Amino acid sequence: MNGPVVHDAWTLPVDDNINSYAFSVDLNGQWFLQRGKMVAYYGQIDFQGVGLGHLDHLIAHSFHSPLHAAEWVVAEGRGKMVLADRAFDVNSYDLDDGNLSIRSGNLLAFQPSLSLKQSIVPGFLTLIGTGKFVAASNGPVVFMEPPIRVDPQALVGWADCPTPCHHYDHAYLRGFLGGIRAHTGIGGASGEEHQFEFVGAGTVLLQSTEEVVAEISVGETGGTGS
Amino acid sequence: MLAVDLTGDSVKAKNGAMVAYEGEMTFKKKTGGGEGLRGMVTRRLTGEQMAVMEVKGHGTCYFADRASEINLVSLNGEKLYVEVGNLLCTDSALRTGTSFTGLRGSSQGNGLFTTTVEGTGQAALVSLGTAVVLRVTPQTPLQVDPGAYIAHTGGLEQHFQAGVNFRALIGESGGESFQIRFEGDGLVYVQPSERNTIGGEV
Repeated sequence: MNGPVVHDAWTLPVDDNINSYAFSVDLNGQWFLQRGKMVAYYGQIDFQGVGLGHLDHLIAHSFHSPLHAAEWVVAEGRGKMVLADRAFDVNSYDLDDGNLSIRSGNLLAFQPSLSLKQSIVPGFLTLIGTGKFVAASNGPVVFMEPPIRVDPQALVGWADCPTPCHHYDHAYLRGFLGGIRAHTGIGGASGEEHQFEFVGAGTVLLQSTEEVVAEISVGETGGTGS
Repeated sequence: MLAVDLTGDSVKAKNGAMVAYEGEMTFKKKTGGGEGLRGMVTRRLTGEQMAVMEVKGHGTCYFADRASEINLVSLNGEKLYVEVGNLLCTDSALRTGTSFTGLRGSSQGNGLFTTTVEGTGQAALVSLGTAVVLRVTPQTPLQVDPGAYIAHTGGLEQHFQAGVNFRALIGESGGESFQIRFEGDGLVYVQPSERNTIGGEV
């Protein structure tokens, strides 16, 4: 029979991609995942909301992001778990005693050996420590080295380098006509007058489109996670 | 996109799914999914309605649906259970029908019934992102998110599983509260994204 590859509980990859859009986690213990990103699983796995009962110790160690508490669950048990997000590209990344900031809607799951904190940049989360995490992006991710200026919508995250700052194209804004255009929108703006600027040593992660992965707005709690 | 070569034979496809063709083709709307009067009444009653056309001719016909991924399933006498919205095209030798799914259907907001495809030939399924095919054996039952399920084959028993505990009732749920549990022997097709279900994006 020709047709798609058939996976079973044993042949599903161990902590690796099944295809561009689906990722398989070999769970033996605990993982954090964003609400609603699990599509299927084999084995015995329990899903618990963050901040509940016997998980207090784990939360104290790995979760420092109260604004996002309602979006996260802890998967606990043994088995293989398939993760996916609205048919976006998913990939896993290893962090080795490092730090990485990522747009909160892009992060799907992470190992509890990492610690999740809120970045001081609104809408971003920071992972610190050693371990694996899974992130979604609209199109494949490209890795760049600073110094670099990037389009705000294309930015997925950054690792090890200092927090970015805004950069405005002043030559353009200073001109009389350009100033009117940029401030009023009359005559149209190119949309590229404003960038995020990265300096120092590290890595910048970009997605290959300017369409941001939609997320729950920061500060929103409860609801169904839609 | 799916290309189908026809040499005088015919295929059944979702109404309006043709995007291009080469050669001579005729398109005929089949009332009631080509299942006769009884099928028509059943589909009307169950809400599992399917607008189907029969494509006949010589040449190549191209089908597509909202840029979704297309997955081919070969059937050798087995029965394929599929959500009607995910069925794009079938060989005309395959018989389609409806069957009762129980609670699983209602959890998806897709009604209590699903479409079956039976016989020998190929069927094309659409999914948002390439579908993942997962094998279920008696030793390894599978739990699937209702919003990601698209189809299954084989002798599988499905249970609606609510992982709702006391805390879920007071607002802090695990977020993965509803699952379909498949037990037995067969294959389950899962898409890497979730439809809206009655329980929200669970």
